[in-house]
Amino acid sequence: MRMMNTDLRAEPAATATENLPAVELRGVRRTYGKHGTAVNALDGVSTRFPDAGWTAVMGPSGSGKSTLLHAAAGLESVTSGEVLLAGTDITAASDEELTSLRRDTIGFVFQNFNLIGSLTAEQNVALPLRLGGQRVSTRDARDVLASVGLADRSRHRPRELSGGQRQRVAIARAMITRPAVLFADEPTGALDSSSAKSVLALLRDMVDTSGQSIVMVTHDPAAAAWADSVLFLSDGRIVDHAHSPTAPGVAERLAALEV
Amino acid sequence: MLRLSASTFREQWQLFLGSILTVAIGVALVQSSLLILVTAATLEAPAGLSTLERAQLMDSYALAIPVVGITLALALFLTIFIVSSTFAFTVAQRRRDLALLRLTGGNRKQLRKLLLGEAALLGLVGTALGVPLGLALMRLQSQLLVMFGFLPAGFRPGWQHWIFAVSVGIGLGVALAGVLAASRRAGRVRPLDALRGTGDEARVMTASRWFVGMVFLAVAVALIIVAQSVDPSGAMPLMMLVTLAAAVGLSTLSPLVVPVFGRVLGLLFRKHTIGTLAAANVRDGVRRNAATAAPLIMLVGLLVGLLGTSFSSTAASEQTLHRDTAADLVVTSPADEAHRIPGVQAVANASVEVDVPLVMTNVEHEEDALGGAMESGNARVVDPDDYLRAHRVQPVAGSLEQLHGQAVALGPGRSGELGYSIGDTVHLKIGDRQLQLPIVAVLPTTPYGGPDLLLPKGIAPESVLPSATAQTFVSTVQGADPAAVGDNIRTAVPGTVDSVDAWVQQQAAAEQDTQLRIFTVLLGMASLYALFAAINAVVVITAADRRSEFAAARLSGLTRRQVVRMAVLESETVTAIGILLGGVAATGTILGMRGALERMSGVGVVELPWLAIGALVAGAFLVVGLTSLWTARSATRMSPISLVSDE
Ligand SMILES: Nc1ncnc2c1ncn2[C@@H]1O[C@H](COP(=O)(O)OP(=O)(O)OP(=O)(O)O)[C@@H](O)[C@H]1O
Ligand SMILES: [Mg+2]
Repeated sequence: MRMMNTDLRAEPAATATENLPAVELRGVRRTYGKHGTAVNALDGVSTRFPDAGWTAVMGPSGSGKSTLLHAAAGLESVTSGEVLLAGTDITAASDEELTSLRRDTIGFVFQNFNLIGSLTAEQNVALPLRLGGQRVSTRDARDVLASVGLADRSRHRPRELSGGQRQRVAIARAMITRPAVLFADEPTGALDSSSAKSVLALLRDMVDTSGQSIVMVTHDPAAAAWADSVLFLSDGRIVDHAHSPTAPGVAERLAALEV
Repeated sequence: MLRLSASTFREQWQLFLGSILTVAIGVALVQSSLLILVTAATLEAPAGLSTLERAQLMDSYALAIPVVGITLALALFLTIFIVSSTFAFTVAQRRRDLALLRLTGGNRKQLRKLLLGEAALLGLVGTALGVPLGLALMRLQSQLLVMFGFLPAGFRPGWQHWIFAVSVGIGLGVALAGVLAASRRAGRVRPLDALRGTGDEARVMTASRWFVGMVFLAVAVALIIVAQSVDPSGAMPLMMLVTLAAAVGLSTLSPLVVPVFGRVLGLLFRKHTIGTLAAANVRDGVRRNAATAAPLIMLVGLLVGLLGTSFSSTAASEQTLHRDTAADLVVTSPADEAHRIPGVQAVANASVEVDVPLVMTNVEHEEDALGGAMESGNARVVDPDDYLRAHRVQPVAGSLEQLHGQAVALGPGRSGELGYSIGDTVHLKIGDRQLQLPIVAVLPTTPYGGPDLLLPKGIAPESVLPSATAQTFVSTVQGADPAAVGDNIRTAVPGTVDSVDAWVQQQAAAEQDTQLRIFTVLLGMASLYALFAAINAVVVITAADRRSEFAAARLSGLTRRQVVRMAVLESETVTAIGILLGGVAATGTILGMRGALERMSGVGVVELPWLAIGALVAGAFLVVGLTSLWTARSATRMSPISLVSDE
């Protein structure tokens, strides 16, 4: 077992001197429902997702992983606490500010792809730039699709693609704006292991060659092993943190949490 | 952005085709009514007619103008109502795609621009179809008007160049207006909603929806109250507004009722899996079910409400006519033969009444010598003493006993409308005789109407009498058998003799007939339009919204037949909601009319058009059921697995 640097504190001391974190959460709390039946989906979470790093978020079902991701990306408001994206507090950001963040700074990949069914792969990929008011040549979109290995599928509609291919289109769509932070919620959840591998390799490449950051929720220890570090959530709290994870090590900790 | 619209268009063509057709039909209806109206309003009587003939001709056209005018108003109203509810609904259907646009960096303005751009496109395409459709419809509508005698044979409304601008304006205007509120709501779609499947909006009953619904219901109630203090002839158009306002109000508030019906359905089919499922669907799809119910509410409200109003007022006039007629027999004969009736054996009283056409000149309003304020009317020439014995009427002012020599009484026909009161002088022309007569009595208005004026015997020139028809109200002497007296009259006078019962029934039937013609013109096209909107809602919902849901149901073990049955059951429940709420709107209308009738005549009756109601209810269930059967079958034709997967 090669699991190292186990640290139950939310914030690893080592990152303190590094440059600005991509995303920082300070005492974030998210409560759903009314007083009587309230659920604390996030219960005081503080952490930093390092710049040019890939952080996996794991935990039992219902532990608050998706909520954490949505809060960090400004998709979900938080009940209390602060969320900082590239140093700016987005807790009270206006819709325009959040929209422009989504355009320029962050990207999303989700388990169920979320492509627009009526658009071809290349139109889906070009969409974020078009929405940003940029003229996109078909070449640009095709180049990005080629980089995810789908050069010959650019004119297909989502339903004519396999699950793995759709997810790669979604990643291409997220890549085209070169977001500083990519948020991914179970991006390989619906894929077989070889499709998953090609998707994960693409993500790894984004971090290593372009210096982008990734926050990825996953249930799969093998997927988590591709990341630089892993956060473990349970009942809305960060309960563990691992660096340079391996699949068996992650699986073991996860099993311990789910008992 | 436009590319996105175009490709969405290719994908979800049913959604857009429905919107285009709703715009097209609306534009066609409005354009057709408008062209007929302007042509009828500028109709000129042919040269070479006498003043009387001209006035009569213009008057018969003049009846067409309010009928077509109300048809036009109704068409415009329905177009706005149906287009805006269809468009709002199609926007709601695309929530997930819109949220996805937000997720990939679209801002609110872009979303609104997209939706408004689409609406403009659909509005224009709809108009392009609507203009030629309107021309075809115009031919149909004017044929109907000619057939029913509202317009002269050979009436041919012409094309006006400006109508094109009007039609484009209406098509574009209703489409944009329809999507405006919906696009604002769509702008509030949260990006996160893209991750939550195609669910309905969490809250359908927004504050503004409450507000709009309540305002319309309040307007309906206020109009009912106002209608209590106007004449039934004036109450009738008000009742139409009541129906419209109530139907809009109830459609807006219908999301409150939908879940209740879902629960009722659930209770009815407690032990029945498909029924329970359908009940859950009714409750879950509040918005789509409210959208299907809306045109049905309008349809049922209008048809039942207005036909019920008409039937009730006919029933009231039948009852009051019976009450006010003291005679036993009514003889219809040539005017110059009627003088022999009083001489027939066992006749106690015979009120010979001859209707003569005339031209009235309203001197106070006269502007040009060529008859700007001239209108045709009809007077009934009577013997006041006989008249008082044959009819149980009390003047509201003056006394009929003074109706002798040079005098006139305002009859029940239009006494309110003409703007005269007791003591005024009426300028009129009968045949070639000019008369200026003082008003000595004013008769009350009645539900059954009557002549505009009563004139004393001997005042009309002899020349008009031979061509006229007389109605003679005969009372028999005590103890005589009216039937035998009738036979005696028949042998003495050429003409027909009816018992009062039969005569009253004939009058009522004739009135009913006229009203039915008016309502056929008014409501025919409008009803078909509303029915189309209901069908469209079912088609759009099934095609756009429910494929994957049906597929999921089949994957969890339902057979195709069960899925179809579930869909039909759900649609029929929604039909029931539409019919019931429409019935509520109609009830308000009919009760409002009953109040107005009762205040005027003392007779408060409600007569329902049961045949029409039965046909409407059966037709609505049948049409919606068949549509739902057909769409559910075609939506489940493909293997379910190809539809549950994403997109
Ligand atoms: N919109 C919501 N309304 C109410 N409760 C919610 C909502 N979203 C999430 N929750 C609750 O918050 C808690 C955390 O949910 P979350 O989706 O973050 O879990 P998760 O860790 O992503 O689970 P999974 O691995 O199953 O996706 C759960 O108990 C969930 O029921
Ligand atoms: Mg989750």
